[in-house]
Amino acid sequence: MSSLYFGIPILLVGSVLQSVWLERAHYTFGRPDLVLLLVVTWSVIRGAEEGALWGFTGGLLMDVLSGSPPGMWASSLALVGFVTGQPWGQALGSTVLRLAMMSALGTLLGHSAFIALMLILGYPVDLPAAYAEIVGPAMLLNFLLSPFAFRFLVWFHHRQRQAAR
Amino acid sequence: MQRRQTWLPYALILAALLLLALHEAGALGPLDDLITYATAPLERGFSRFIYQVGDLFKTVQDVRRLRAEVERLQRENDALRVENIRLQEQYVSENEQLRAMLDFREANPTYTLIGADIVERGCEIYPCASVVGEDTNPYLSYLIINVGSKDGIAVGMPVVSSGAVMVGRIARVTPHLAFVQLVNDPTSRVAAILQRSRVTGIVAGREDGSLVMTEILPDETVEVGDVAVTSGLGGLLPKGLLLGQVESVTYRESALFQEVKLRPQLDFRRLDVVVVITNFQPEPLEELQQSGEP
Repeated sequence: MSSLYFGIPILLVGSVLQSVWLERAHYTFGRPDLVLLLVVTWSVIRGAEEGALWGFTGGLLMDVLSGSPPGMWASSLALVGFVTGQPWGQALGSTVLRLAMMSALGTLLGHSAFIALMLILGYPVDLPAAYAEIVGPAMLLNFLLSPFAFRFLVWFHHRQRQAAR
Repeated sequence: MQRRQTWLPYALILAALLLLALHEAGALGPLDDLITYATAPLERGFSRFIYQVGDLFKTVQDVRRLRAEVERLQRENDALRVENIRLQEQYVSENEQLRAMLDFREANPTYTLIGADIVERGCEIYPCASVVGEDTNPYLSYLIINVGSKDGIAVGMPVVSSGAVMVGRIARVTPHLAFVQLVNDPTSRVAAILQRSRVTGIVAGREDGSLVMTEILPDETVEVGDVAVTSGLGGLLPKGLLLGQVESVTYRESALFQEVKLRPQLDFRRLDVVVVITNFQPEPLEELQQSGEP
């Protein structure tokens, strides 16, 4: 829970950057999911519970910056944080490799859950186009950016551990 | 310790789904108001932050002088095209008015009539809003603008840019921000008319962001290059707002209607400033029903 003291500002900046910058970039070469990437990274570092907590918080902030019903990003990202922080992920290899693979998997899972909710609520979604133009490029970009997110968040992780001692 | 906390992820996922379900059931109204009230100071800072971060990226873009120059010329071209279309629309309307006046004069030869021009209308200053961001939902076409309910913005108000080009409608309002549903959003529907042929239909967005005009009967003739404007039918939007230009016409034998692909008059991705029409009064439903009766 205490990780939210610095988690909320980080996720807030992430969601704002997603809205003002990254959502505009996706027209040319796809766009990464900054908040999703932060959630996956934190869940790989700290486990499923903290991952779900960051997912829920980051999702609520994303929902604030969306015209779609509140709770869509919160539920999708909480699920992503929970799944990608499971102990079975440790079998995938080193932390960096695990994080990269979990970023791609988390992106696929998060967007699939989000699309499923949209379809349930009656929003039209062109599935082939959504996966080809949004989910696919986002998986690749999140995969590539995951080492940077790891270096950034692992610093906070160590700081918090030192402060706790 | 570990065992005690295992319920947390499930509880969070359930809480988020409950929030969604309550919103869909319309039961979130009072809670929504409370949250809006409580988060207003945070949102104010948030809005300022968005604006400043947006400005930062805009400044970087502004350095690309050549690109800005091309954009300026493009905008000028768009504005001239809009002005041309607006004048055409005005001419058609004026012609209709003059014909009606002539008919009135012929029907009432005993009256003494004096012609006059309208020299001034009760102009309102519409809130001018900057586009500060895009929706974080990548499957919808929404914009976030930096005016909200504090500025008199309400859900359903039309949003225009570059003169009389329809951008969209206000879909959600917070005290300091508003969410604009663009006309090319997959859930957007606008009653439209083609300027030259006077063919009516519905302009809708598609999932890929394109704009189409549907519900055009098969025997209607649609020409490429004709311009679609809002028809005002339904009373929800003003008449004559520009939507797009006919790019291609599709009709399959098995289909009930023709489908027209429109080229939007604006590049919605590059909008910086929009105008919200706040004083447009939607026609009451009762009046529409009465006028529709034989």
